[in-house]
Amino acid sequence: MSDPNKLPRRSFLEKAAIGVVTSQFAAGVPAFAQTRAASRPLKRLEPLKSIEAGVLNIGYAELGPANGAPILLLHGWPYDIHTYAEVAPILASQGYRVIVPYVRGYGTTQFISSETPRNGQQAVLAVDIIALMDALKIQQATVGGCDWGARTACILAALWPERVKALVSVSGYLIGNRESGKAPLPPKAELQWWYQYYFATERGRAGYEKNRHDFSKLIWQIASPRWAFDDATFDRSAAALENPDHVAVVIHNYRWRLGLAEGESKYDDLENRLAKAPVITVPTITFEGDANGAPHPEASAYAGKFSGRYEHRVVSGGIGHNLPQEAPQAFAAAVAELARL
Amino acid sequence: MTDSVTPTRMDDRMDFVRRGLLRGAVAGAGIAGLGLALGGSVAFAKGIGFPALALGRLKNVDAGVLNIAYCEAGPADGPAVVLLHGFPYDIEAYAEVAPLLASAGCRVIVPYLRGFGPTRFLNAGTLRSGEFAAFGADLLALLDALALPRAVLAGYDWGGKAASAVAALWPERCAGLVSGNGYAFTEPSAALVPALPESEIPLWWQFYFQTERGRAGYTKYRREMNRFFWKQWSPTWRFDDATFARTAGSFDNPDHVDVSIHSFRHRFGAVKGDPAYAEIDRRLASLPAIPVRTVTLDGSDDSAHGPTDGSAQAAKFTGPRTHRVIPGAGHNLPQEAPGAFADAVLELVRADRRTR
Repeated sequence: MSDPNKLPRRSFLEKAAIGVVTSQFAAGVPAFAQTRAASRPLKRLEPLKSIEAGVLNIGYAELGPANGAPILLLHGWPYDIHTYAEVAPILASQGYRVIVPYVRGYGTTQFISSETPRNGQQAVLAVDIIALMDALKIQQATVGGCDWGARTACILAALWPERVKALVSVSGYLIGNRESGKAPLPPKAELQWWYQYYFATERGRAGYEKNRHDFSKLIWQIASPRWAFDDATFDRSAAALENPDHVAVVIHNYRWRLGLAEGESKYDDLENRLAKAPVITVPTITFEGDANGAPHPEASAYAGKFSGRYEHRVVSGGIGHNLPQEAPQAFAAAVAELARL
Repeated sequence: MTDSVTPTRMDDRMDFVRRGLLRGAVAGAGIAGLGLALGGSVAFAKGIGFPALALGRLKNVDAGVLNIAYCEAGPADGPAVVLLHGFPYDIEAYAEVAPLLASAGCRVIVPYLRGFGPTRFLNAGTLRSGEFAAFGADLLALLDALALPRAVLAGYDWGGKAASAVAALWPERCAGLVSGNGYAFTEPSAALVPALPESEIPLWWQFYFQTERGRAGYTKYRREMNRFFWKQWSPTWRFDDATFARTAGSFDNPDHVDVSIHSFRHRFGAVKGDPAYAEIDRRLASLPAIPVRTVTLDGSDDSAHGPTDGSAQAAKFTGPRTHRVIPGAGHNLPQEAPGAFADAVLELVRADRRTR
């Protein structure tokens, strides 16, 4: 599809790009919403704990028996630990010790020092999780992730395979390469990354800062066009985006990818290794939804990056980008399957 | 303030154009009547026109920092009209308008903007600026180079900025202004103010162009992107491949990417302008009034700039001003609604003649 004009049907994003989507957005998804919100209070993942780990005091939910086999579940942007609101209890009920941390810049996770750069480069998000595992004295865990969390999970599996028993990754192999990030894609594909270019500008930083809640809701809707999430579900997660470091970390993450912001030099070695797109050897299941509205690679493009036991699963039924929250049974089953190995 | 104009049907002419029967016809030759038609709508003179302006006789002239390529049609002693295209379009936008005006007796000048078609910079060291002040300065230089003391200036998009800049800062050179999308200038700081999230999506490419990846993307995919823009901004315009192809060659101008990227970065305050235009830039930033007789046009289907009733900008026009919404037209007004656009120009030509 090199010619965007020849597409048979416009996507939500393409409609948004020509400015015809506003009313649809306003009248769209939330219609489903209010009844459910009113009829049942949303459960929050709890109990929430916190622990000093590396440069952070990491907030996390812990469920299940303390002596269970550990499972780490990593959320993405602009989501939070409630991506696993249903997955975590399912796994806990099966006897696993489930740890769901807030990424730096989200929820109750705090920087210990105001001097620490609010760095969002890919390596540091994985270093945070290694620090968390060290602090919790978890030698090895089964790791599941979605969006940024899937990238972090892939990095953990690639660079610290001894710490990762198995990997469940939504949208597959997501380790980034800043060099290839310089290469432009055809316009229709670049439109999918519209927010990344927005964040490259000061207007974008200001816009995200000011309209964080509505911006994130728009991302949720574009990324999961068939997921009828309600306001209460969104608001439960959106609260985590009010973290004081959130905007700085998010903007740095996206600018770093484009080479517009530097990382910290102490992570250069890790990034150099990641730039070589290392193979992942641990047992892995990758997932894709049949209605993922966010930019994502074709499964065939990354199958070769997994050299161990490997399987790719597609979940149908209108499942979008936030797959663990949209298809919790399928995701939890895959995690449990690998954790049992 | 708002009245509507029914677009003149162009189907018969367009049919000739598409079949190439008129290609290469000498612009302005064989005009039925050299006198301005003073009443009614534009009459179509059969067999006249330059369906593909670029394929007609191009002239060129050194003007300011440029050697400007332009098409000229109509009688040399007719009232002068300069038609200015936008981004990402070229003089083909006036393929229908220019012969209409020529046949009505106007001397029609249609230049390629800097960075488009065969227009060239004279000096390799000149900043390939795309700031609005530069387009205004180029237009003034062209009027000087052609020894045109006054002309009706008509444009849209970047061409509207050029025409409006001259109308505002050198009104004695402007016999009347047709401006697509109304008053052309905004507070420079406005570009830094975020809009609501869903309203930012249509501007994604402007953010893209702030990045080096965006420059590389535009360089590599300029035709695809510009076709994308044509479709986005004129969603109801059914242009064909040949129509786009006639303009697309203009994007291969060696300065096209530099000028384009500079333009969108400059409006975000991310790059400096050319010091040569600092004074013009400063005056445009003060949002100067436009004192000349003006017709502002919005396309009802323009998704780059939604149609307005024109009232919000009324105070900026201190001369007589008419605002119209052209039904069924998108952003590329003169190419989509040539009859209505030409009518607006002729209205100003006639009004100027009456008052002089």
